Amino acid sequence: MISHDEMLNGVAAYALGVLPPHEAADVVKHLRNCEACRQEYRAMQSAVTAVAYSAESCADATMGAAVVSPLLKARVMKHVRESAARAARPRVWPAYALAAACLALAIVTGMLDLSLNDRLNRERAQVTEQEQTIADFMAPDAHRRPFAGGEVLMHGQRLYLAMPHMPMPPPGKVYQAWTLAKGAKTVTPSKTFMPSGKGMTIVPLPEAATTLAAVAVSVEPEGGSQLPTTKPIAMVTL
Amino acid sequence: MERVCARDAAAFEALYDAYHRLVYGLALRVLSDPSAAEDVTQAVFLKVWDSPTLFRGGNFGAWIARVARNRAFDVLRSRAAHGEEEFPDSIPVDDALEETAIAHLDGDRVRDALARLPPEQREPIELGFFGGVTHQEIARRFGLPLGTVKTRIRTGLRRLKNALEGAVTV
Repeated sequence: MISHDEMLNGVAAYALGVLPPHEAADVVKHLRNCEACRQEYRAMQSAVTAVAYSAESCADATMGAAVVSPLLKARVMKHVRESAARAARPRVWPAYALAAACLALAIVTGMLDLSLNDRLNRERAQVTEQEQTIADFMAPDAHRRPFAGGEVLMHGQRLYLAMPHMPMPPPGKVYQAWTLAKGAKTVTPSKTFMPSGKGMTIVPLPEAATTLAAVAVSVEPEGGSQLPTTKPIAMVTL
Repeated sequence: MERVCARDAAAFEALYDAYHRLVYGLALRVLSDPSAAEDVTQAVFLKVWDSPTLFRGGNFGAWIARVARNRAFDVLRSRAAHGEEEFPDSIPVDDALEETAIAHLDGDRVRDALARLPPEQREPIELGFFGGVTHQEIARRFGLPLGTVKTRIRTGLRRLKNALEGAVTV
């Protein structure tokens, strides 16, 4: 049993980011129940932010100090302005567009080998699922969270990834969705999928939308992974 | 940030102008590589633009410094692991964002305050923050007991905060 003063020292080390994960978890657990330590954490956080500012680069190159290249800003702002211009265009979800596209709509359903009967049952289910999907995408109260390359759509408890022009992953790889439950600190594996190849890839996710804090997508080996092995191509806070 | 969420490029440019030196300087201090530091700076700001809702309020400078530091250590880890990268730990969690009590920070003022700390407090803090090592590693490098390292970190951080707030140091 450690003393409260030792815990306060641990809080400072946690704020600085030098605790290994198991000790950090102990501090986080304690912080949830101790207002005095939460106050100390806020104070330490302020000081740690100050430490970060000690590395702030100079505004000019006097005394040989490192300065940020103006070309960097040009590159960043080029991306931003192009992205803003795309966002300013009218949405491509009017009813007629969806209705026309629904025949070609390929809802990605994972990768299962199915018998003939299974396939018939599955096709019926797919029709129902497509109708539900279209209704969800048309719903005026649907919530959208855009990200570079697509958007996450939530309607009630239902949750979709929608990505136009999604490239095929490298050979032997698939896309995998990940979810972060509210209050959780680690992501949970969700569906693996491949692009539809017909323009828009729509992936219904099985998780209940209102239970989640974030959704991510990464490229993984066939069969999926238990933890992401590559940097996510998309990460969206819900 | 509300304007950035609404895809306002001018608002984003103002954010970039205000914080790019913090992000770049921090990445440069961690990586010691100007080119890699620029890559990190670009990645951090594009992340802010592409996923502005990751920021859930509080002090933006504190938040973006955390994102930049994590990103820089991702680069270090990926170098060490030959391309294997961990899932970014910048996904927000409930306790991840805290309001900072210190306002109007700037590099010169903080460097001055940090330089005034006793070396036995400043060095573990800098090694831990910019070196990305655990307190055990800090204790090993300085040949100190673990408890002493944590006490010095806490005392140093408290003294730094008080100095920046203009209070009497502990």
